[in-house]
Amino acid sequence: MTERRDETRIEQAIARLVAEGQISRRSFLRRASRGGLVLGSALSLPAILAACGIKPLSSSTPIAGPSGSTGGAPTPIPKAAGLLDWANWPAYIDIDEKGKYPTIQKFEKATGIKVSYTEAINDNEEFFGKIQPDLEAGNTTAYDLIVMTDWMIQKMIRFGYLERIDKSQVPNFAANADSLYVNPWYDPNNMYSLAWQSGITGIGYNPKLTKREITTFDDLLDPAFKGHVGLFSEMRDTMCMALLSIDVKPEEATVADVQKAGDKLLKAAKTGQFRSFYGNDYYDELANKNLWITIAWSGDVTQMQLYDNPDVKFVIPQSGGMRWVDNMAIPNKAAHPVDAHMMMNFWYDPANAVPLSEYIGYFSPVKGVPDMISKDADAAEAKGDKTTAAQLRVVAKTVNPTPDQLTHVFNYKRLTETEELAWNSVFEQVRTG
Amino acid sequence: MTAAIRRLRWAIPYLFLVPGGLWLLIFFVVPMAVMASISLQTGSLGTGYALTWNFGIYPEAISQFATQFLRSFEYGIIVTVLTLLIGYPMAYTIAFRGGRVKNILLLLVILPFFTSFIIRTLAWKLILADQGFLLGTLKAWGLLPDGFGLIATPISVISGLVYNFLPFMVLPLYVALEKIDHRLVEAANDLYASRFQAFLRVTLPLSMPGVFAGSLLTFIPSVGDFVNATILGSRETTMIGNVIQSRFLDFNDYPRASALGFVLMAAILVMVLVYARLVGSDELTSG
Repeated sequence: MTERRDETRIEQAIARLVAEGQISRRSFLRRASRGGLVLGSALSLPAILAACGIKPLSSSTPIAGPSGSTGGAPTPIPKAAGLLDWANWPAYIDIDEKGKYPTIQKFEKATGIKVSYTEAINDNEEFFGKIQPDLEAGNTTAYDLIVMTDWMIQKMIRFGYLERIDKSQVPNFAANADSLYVNPWYDPNNMYSLAWQSGITGIGYNPKLTKREITTFDDLLDPAFKGHVGLFSEMRDTMCMALLSIDVKPEEATVADVQKAGDKLLKAAKTGQFRSFYGNDYYDELANKNLWITIAWSGDVTQMQLYDNPDVKFVIPQSGGMRWVDNMAIPNKAAHPVDAHMMMNFWYDPANAVPLSEYIGYFSPVKGVPDMISKDADAAEAKGDKTTAAQLRVVAKTVNPTPDQLTHVFNYKRLTETEELAWNSVFEQVRTG
Repeated sequence: MTAAIRRLRWAIPYLFLVPGGLWLLIFFVVPMAVMASISLQTGSLGTGYALTWNFGIYPEAISQFATQFLRSFEYGIIVTVLTLLIGYPMAYTIAFRGGRVKNILLLLVILPFFTSFIIRTLAWKLILADQGFLLGTLKAWGLLPDGFGLIATPISVISGLVYNFLPFMVLPLYVALEKIDHRLVEAANDLYASRFQAFLRVTLPLSMPGVFAGSLLTFIPSVGDFVNATILGSRETTMIGNVIQSRFLDFNDYPRASALGFVLMAAILVMVLVYARLVGSDELTSG
């Protein structure tokens, strides 16, 4: 893949320049981003080379902007702007009874940065579709920090839509990140993304409504549940789970396999088996009993058990589940990148990661979180708060994957664009007929 | 000086058109041109899109999504008829029997607009939920079977559309009915027309401009709507608006989405022209 080679070239260029002391890493980043904006649609390579002071070999595009001229002039350390626009998924942050976000408030108090937190993301593809035209045109997207799933991070890197992360501004990552989340498959060296939370795609169900326990993916196709089954509107989770059910590992799937898995779903879809195709909004449908059984995300079900519906259960089907990591990333031309870095750094401090995990119950990328939650449980019990203690003990068990959960789950396939189009067209048959 | 102004007087009405004209140019004509150009491009997100005058995309898009097109028009017609059946008596009562509370009644018609369209539609999802307070209660009383549900059926989508677009039918009907000189009805009665005949021969024809305007205001947005089908519907109720939305946002397939948008617009235009022929659009201008 050419991008990969380009990446290496870029890395080498950076290493050389930084070693020669021509340019500080920070000024490089700033200039790279400016160059990227000016060139807009181009893959970030020429922009980055330009920022390094290297003339792209064949490019005739003039490098505009202030970045081109000054060679090694020291750039002042970037300052926080005092504002942060953050788009995240629903049910992905701790909330108190008043509907406020206590840990974000703590960040605001500590840094003086005003955070505008929105639950704007319901579906990776849909959110990408909304910001893509701006990114392509080189405009700001109105967000400084976004949370996207691993495969989407890979796709956005492919298009050059993300800002490089300046690791010197996130020292907590090197200090506290769990090794599972360092140098991941979708973003070597965490150049563009840091894990936010991670989890597993499996099946959520309400045994009171299904009237039996669920063990396999094919249970989703049981005619007894007709009209009360949910699938995801995102192609990858739905198709990969279906692929697993026909004994195909998603990473090795061919288009023919996808067609076969799609046909299996289509047959059921035609009978009205599926109620609808959901983004994160499946949560309410499962909690309020419209859905009896659905593809679901692990941490959501933990939260649902604690706060919304104690009956609901999560299971990784016998054929396997999908392992995913959601990541914090900074879209190109973000207005407040320094503030975004500070926010990322903030979450890699266990003191902040723990209250978050205690509330949302996904896998935490921060080392030692389960132990600290257990300690909080002990403290709550010492105070005589048995309910909280019991809740925390449940959560402590869910914030790190168990060995079994790690062997029974699979990664997404790195799709080329042609593959993605083919997979999408199969899925669309299932989704809209 | 005055002579110059007098000579330019012919331009004054046109000058009044400038703000609206500019608005239309920037927000309608230009986007339309852009959309037309996008629909004729081929390519993908990775390779970029290039204009290739690919007219073949139009028949291709129509045949690929014929089901959703037909369904949208079917829903649109049902919704228009239902809003007319519900809205006409409403508007009639407010206009002729409203008395002192007329303005309050009108305010009540407009009141739903004080909350967002999405919130109102989501509210229906709660009201009609399988175990919600309506169906849940009926099921608890044994009046409905356990598996019964309304959400994710055409019924809930059409109900949502009717609810959301009803005011667009009632208001033009009210305006048309309110203008009718009641003495004409009295005259008809004096000429031995029964009340029903008077309605049929006097009130109804005079209110036709309202019927026409109201039908357009409900039919056009409901055919293109995607919110109700997204929130209240299922795979079997996918409308053309949903297809366009997912083509744009989920598949980044801008050419096909644009082409579908154009086809939808053309189809609506044709249907409106046919309707205008049938109902008689001259009443719009003379009324």
